[in-house]
Amino acid sequence: MRVAALSLAEINLESLSQYRADLSGLLKTHRPDLAVLPAYSALALGLGTGAFMPGPDFAATFYIFSADNAGWNSICTEIHAGLAREHNLYLAAGTTVESEAGFYYHTAHCFDPGGDLCCRQKQTHLTRIEREYNFSRGEEINLFDLESGAGTTIKTGLIVGNDARHPEVGRILALNGAGLALHSGALPAGPNCWEQTAGMWAQVQQNQFWAVEAQLSGRMAGRHFGAGSAVLAPCEITPGYSGYLARGYSETEAVTAELNEADRRRIKKSYPVLELLNRKAYSELSELYRDRENEVD
Amino acid sequence: MIPGGLKEKLFQRYLAWICRPARIKKYLGSRLPAKREPAPVDRRRIRAAALQLEFKLFKDPFDYADEMKRKAEEAADRGAQLVVFPEYNNLQLLGLLPGSEELEQASGGQGSGTAAAKQNIEEEIWLPDLFRYMSPVVQPLVHALFSSLAGAYSLYIMAGSFMLSDQGAIVNRAFLYGPSGELEASQDKVNLLPREAKWKVKRGSSFSVFETPLGNLGLPVCMDATYFETFRILELAGADLVLLPIADPQEYNFWLALRGIWPRVQESPLYGIKGALVGRVAGFVFTGRAGIFAPLKLTPNQDGVLDEVKPYDREAMAVADLDLEALDRFRSDHPWRDNNPALYRRYFPQIYGT
Repeated sequence: MRVAALSLAEINLESLSQYRADLSGLLKTHRPDLAVLPAYSALALGLGTGAFMPGPDFAATFYIFSADNAGWNSICTEIHAGLAREHNLYLAAGTTVESEAGFYYHTAHCFDPGGDLCCRQKQTHLTRIEREYNFSRGEEINLFDLESGAGTTIKTGLIVGNDARHPEVGRILALNGAGLALHSGALPAGPNCWEQTAGMWAQVQQNQFWAVEAQLSGRMAGRHFGAGSAVLAPCEITPGYSGYLARGYSETEAVTAELNEADRRRIKKSYPVLELLNRKAYSELSELYRDRENEVD
Repeated sequence: MIPGGLKEKLFQRYLAWICRPARIKKYLGSRLPAKREPAPVDRRRIRAAALQLEFKLFKDPFDYADEMKRKAEEAADRGAQLVVFPEYNNLQLLGLLPGSEELEQASGGQGSGTAAAKQNIEEEIWLPDLFRYMSPVVQPLVHALFSSLAGAYSLYIMAGSFMLSDQGAIVNRAFLYGPSGELEASQDKVNLLPREAKWKVKRGSSFSVFETPLGNLGLPVCMDATYFETFRILELAGADLVLLPIADPQEYNFWLALRGIWPRVQESPLYGIKGALVGRVAGFVFTGRAGIFAPLKLTPNQDGVLDEVKPYDREAMAVADLDLEALDRFRSDHPWRDNNPALYRRYFPQIYGT
């Protein structure tokens, strides 16, 4: 199965038609079975087209965007569902903000090759700033069966933004059978690549799933995003044992790789990390988290 | 040569005699300095040392004692208050057994061990039987030795972990000695390597945190650091420092070696101190790089490394100062960490049991 992580670098965000045409061209060039867009894709398009105006800083802009974007979300859904259908692929369409019963969630969506929504995932762990702006946490981790060719499926989940740094998310996915995680991320540009390594790379190694990590490239409301997108796998089945099947730089518009599920099954059999996990030894975890919650209260 | 016969029992008694605590203590008594004054504890500057030991088979317990003393002394001379030794720190005592030369030969002496050599050894020798046989000898020796070293140098010494017999089962157990020379804590390895699972090593059932003036310590062992849950549960239980003995049984590769303690201290903000056993024996290869690790923001190069030895196959030592107050500040003003109890309540009982 061919996968692609797209950064939105070189994509014209100034009009909906140009955005659609540029993305379509990219998908035509790389011909993936699955493509993943980065976090804040709907906001980037909203600011680019002038449908939304930036606030004094990025956090405020994101907050302003969240207040009245239902119509915009419908437009984005239509574009991305159409692209999935047109290119006969799965498209994880990045992220937006959605309101539900008065609560705001940072959410990701994935469309199947028929253009139907096959997975929606709310971010489950918030940054300090997101908490300050009263965003809410998702309380559910969703999986869907992604058809990976020749009648086979691979259980797949979406990891949204800050959840990449919370290994609980990857573990819940993996122990519920996920073989593939699609991450929409947006990390500030800078010289330190280790922040990113501590996220999805670490989750992949301790769960032995694939990950397609799309990182946003570009400037928005005073913030420069610039981590490299990547396709990740257990070290043992990657060149140089690096854990990367493919890896881009900040300005790389698409990173692609082939996932060979037989390779992953082989390493899971010879080094069964999850089977070796002594789960009972961690049965106190829930209680300890609860204690911390009480301390915070 | 495996236990059961009269000859083996007699030899075991001989080993117990030459390794007896009184003999070891007497030997060390003439070599150790008068008790050093412990350095005053400053929570902003706890000096830790992570040791990388090169595998050697010792035929004489005094040689083993000398080697451990040399390393503890070197750490103390560099101002360390806390020293971490590696996993399997009693493998080197297999040299006390007759025929141990064959183990060295199988490792190719100075050369590299081969898979064929390893297979030959595994077919002829069931290592758990050797651990079981040696355990009554090793355990008293280890206690006498490390308690003497900790006392003389006024150090906290995490002596590494040891393959020992406990009520008939083999365990991989880490020991912590305090500056008074007392055994302060022990911890059984909770998550096993595939080989240890094959050996039917008994897993530990939980993790503990031990209060000391140098901070609250956790002592997981090697493979335990493969899983985020280990450092999370220790952090939630109040740990500040994790002392991790390792013996990584594979050829060195930067990325493979990165998979343990480094991501764990990023996920759960803690200081991590890793002692490593390196070298080749009986077709096994162990590689390291001992080091001292911290959350990215608490390291000068923002890379999560306070100090890490350069060689992965020779002895070396990493030394760094840990600032517990900076760790407290970092934890309390963290930009992206969060807690989602509703999510955990929903999934954790299914995943971990209750």
